[in-house]
Amino acid sequence: MNVDKKTQKYDRQLRLWHANGQTALETAKVCLINGTATGCEILKDLVLPGIGSFTVVDNKIVEGSDVGNTFFLVSDSIGMNRAQAVTEFLQELNEDVKGFHFSEDPIALIENQPEYFLQFSIVITTNLPEKSLLKLADILWNAKIPLVIVCTVGFIGYFRIALPEHTIVEAHPENIIDLRLDVPFPALEQYVKTFNFGALGSMDHAHIPYVVILLKYLEQWKRDHDSKLPSTSAERNEFKKLIQSGRRNVEEENFDEALASVWKACTSTKIPRQVEEIFKISSCENITAESSNFWIIARAVRDFAANEGLGLLPLAGNVPDMKADTPNYVAMQNIYRQKAKEDASAVRARVHNILNSIGRSTDSISDDEIDSFCKNASFIQVIRYRSLQEEYITEPKNADIGRWLQDLQENIVHYVLIRAMNRFYESYNRYPDAATFFLEDDAEEVSEEASNDFNTLKAYVNILLREWKITSYPEHLDNHIHEICRAGGSELANIASLLGGMVSQEVIKLITKQYIPMNNTVIFDGVRSTSSSYIL
Amino acid sequence: MAEIQMQTDVPTPQDGSEAANKDWYGRWSHLYKILDRRGPFADPSFTPGHGDVLDSSFIFLREILLNNCRVLVIGAGGLGCEILKNLVLSGFKNIEVIDMDIIDVSNLNRQFLFRPSDVGKPKAKVAAEFIMKRVADVKVTYYHGKIQDKDDDYYLGFQLIICGLDSVEARRWINATLVNLVGDEPERIRVLVDGGTEGFKGQARVIIPTITSCYECSLDMLGKQKTFPICTIANTPRLPEHCIEWASVIHWPKIRPDIKMDTDDPTHIQWLYEIALERAKEFNITGVTYSLTQGVVKNIIPAIASTNAIIAASCCNEAFKLITTAQPYLNNYMMYTGNEGLYTYTFEHQKKPDCPVCGNERVTMEINKEMTVEDFIEYLKERQEIQLKRPSLSHATTGEKIYWQSPPLFEQRTRPNLEKMLIEMVEQGDEITVTDTTLPFSLQIVISYT
Ligand SMILES: [Zn+2]
Repeated sequence: MNVDKKTQKYDRQLRLWHANGQTALETAKVCLINGTATGCEILKDLVLPGIGSFTVVDNKIVEGSDVGNTFFLVSDSIGMNRAQAVTEFLQELNEDVKGFHFSEDPIALIENQPEYFLQFSIVITTNLPEKSLLKLADILWNAKIPLVIVCTVGFIGYFRIALPEHTIVEAHPENIIDLRLDVPFPALEQYVKTFNFGALGSMDHAHIPYVVILLKYLEQWKRDHDSKLPSTSAERNEFKKLIQSGRRNVEEENFDEALASVWKACTSTKIPRQVEEIFKISSCENITAESSNFWIIARAVRDFAANEGLGLLPLAGNVPDMKADTPNYVAMQNIYRQKAKEDASAVRARVHNILNSIGRSTDSISDDEIDSFCKNASFIQVIRYRSLQEEYITEPKNADIGRWLQDLQENIVHYVLIRAMNRFYESYNRYPDAATFFLEDDAEEVSEEASNDFNTLKAYVNILLREWKITSYPEHLDNHIHEICRAGGSELANIASLLGGMVSQEVIKLITKQYIPMNNTVIFDGVRSTSSSYIL
Repeated sequence: MAEIQMQTDVPTPQDGSEAANKDWYGRWSHLYKILDRRGPFADPSFTPGHGDVLDSSFIFLREILLNNCRVLVIGAGGLGCEILKNLVLSGFKNIEVIDMDIIDVSNLNRQFLFRPSDVGKPKAKVAAEFIMKRVADVKVTYYHGKIQDKDDDYYLGFQLIICGLDSVEARRWINATLVNLVGDEPERIRVLVDGGTEGFKGQARVIIPTITSCYECSLDMLGKQKTFPICTIANTPRLPEHCIEWASVIHWPKIRPDIKMDTDDPTHIQWLYEIALERAKEFNITGVTYSLTQGVVKNIIPAIASTNAIIAASCCNEAFKLITTAQPYLNNYMMYTGNEGLYTYTFEHQKKPDCPVCGNERVTMEINKEMTVEDFIEYLKERQEIQLKRPSLSHATTGEKIYWQSPPLFEQRTRPNLEKMLIEMVEQGDEITVTDTTLPFSLQIVISYT
């Protein structure tokens, strides 16, 4: 057998995040506050791919309703501590994962012993009241630990990520082709010179890599046009004609490929704007002993580009497949790879210099990490999330919320309702619930209690709207208030599972630092089967 | 009013079935809040606490859900495990699951009803038994075999069919079967909820046979499968994939003609890997690994727990809404992608008037006069919207066989036609009947020469 058991087990996911992503997952310590149906579904989708460990913090006792909507409980669990009961069932999903439970009241823990949460790589909360949430968010924010806030009610799901900064090297874009056709480096120019198109037999001519075709004709074009590339569409068409003139017959697919890439060849290679922006962030400018590997390498790449890189990022070195014979393709591929290697080694030298200057050992950043950064340099990303403090207190997005609320297609309305529902909970220690509200055939007959919850919830909605300086009450909110009262804090298994999938996926992106996580709130509406993301 | 409120948590005398009485206090209380109350967005026909599906007597919606509604789940893999769990937690108590596969170790990263000790056992059986062991008073029966083994009456026996398959062929089959089932009798409509995933992407959709667009209508939305030209593989390999294809497509049949290649057999993969590696060395090509070899020869599609959970939950949410009418159901397609941020796109996929399964217009193809029958067959195989593997052709009006792939007798007899010009056998405006053994329907194509 060539492959070990673990590689076999994780094969289908390793194809997405590879061994380094898997290692990151396997060292992650995940904390879940409250073992609700949604919380358990999130953990299920994290235990299966193999996180290091999880800890459920929950002091509630399992009730009959919990067993009804949670797959990780049985009727014998009723009366047991919920954290312990769900941990046992979740643990058995994957023998490689350690499961812990802490039967403590999360609210008291946040109040009295907040440093408890600093041991985790990421904290996920479900059903935590606003006051405790804000306090926890503060603690984790200062410690740079990601917090994911999750809520499901009825057919609605909501989640929010809070983290000061998230950096991504491996965004896995669809293609990372960087051929430098407009600015061929010396080794590539040299290689193109070895071709004499006229002297080639028909078989060889039909197998010239299109990169060589383009470079050859661009060279000719530049000779006749003051070293300039074709820039207007008229010029590009003229350039296409030039290529066509060298074509011997319609069968030559390599010429088709060359013609299809003319536009790309005439686009100047430069540092993408989003990367330029990252270079301007102060973390890139001010490297200290506390700087993360990402910023140290980013700084080295920035300096590389400003000096020996001649204004360009290190070359990725990938060559797409193209019509070519094997020796030519492999030779060309090696030229690109060699240049990528040289660029990476220049960056490595710069990284080592920086490490020396801040008193860190040069082997504290691996060559693999530097090489991977260089390969992905055009696609690096930095996400700076807004804090919960900003969203709730200091800088709420008043104008945006007001504008989004006007649009009936938007899902922001559910955000308003969830916020109002949490305020309601804060005061009454229960969710707005209208048991008899719409039970009668005649909807006009509304019980006193039900109409109370409706009116109370509406009052909280209005308080929020006032806080956001939204002066007119959008009438369509009434229906959504009804729907929340109907749901009465219920957690439906389907919505819990759907959110479980969404949240776990974003958690995996945060832990592996691969792919691009959402920023910063996603709302799913299971009535209309739509979702939206907002920066709140 | 107080009386009715009681029913939220306590079994009512009306649903006198044994199952209901075994429920512990509060079991369905989350669900009953939705089922027992009016909702502002609910279908107008929704009557809280009552089923509108069977209106002959006073039957609670809960009971319809819990005991009377039979649901078929096709596939007990990544989506199937999730679907089964969601259904039983949503009150569905009478389920059948079909799957022909056995459990592989690579399933364990997402198919959470299976344990390492289950490897080698039938998925349908293990999944059904696990669910019944975990969740009280639900009946999950299973069939370990192919969906094609079952007849119309079998499929008519379910109110709803949820499909979590990874095979295009099987989905085309069930889709066509359910559309054909309807005929002129709308009461024979069985709704199909279909889910599919690939890595971070997926889709959930509701197909109401003959009413909405069907699976066949949207075949052109499938990504084209990556294939490598045989001449590249044989003569000018450039990628590690080319070397692997050479090992499996060209070298294996030559060296081991008597052994059928089994891509699930690790010794076979190992053999291919070594051959591919050797060839790669010869051509100075890098990047052939065991994992890549396996990926290429098995056409492995990445699969993760999270995407499966999202799509399966969406399918079950639609199933729940369809059966209870407690909310409007999806009309009719939700696409999801999660590699860059998190997006869904919900839209109404339109019925194709010339859909070979649900449309009533014939397909007209504009064909070059110079085409041979063989060219035409190749052309059909390339057409993304019809996706044929081994099409057989007959003249629609005369019934004359143009080319049949099987049985061998007919293949032999019709093979000489491959070299003929199509126009010799089919005149301008004539109709061709195209069949494919993988499809439960035939295509009618009108030929128009250009
Ligand atoms: Zn159709």
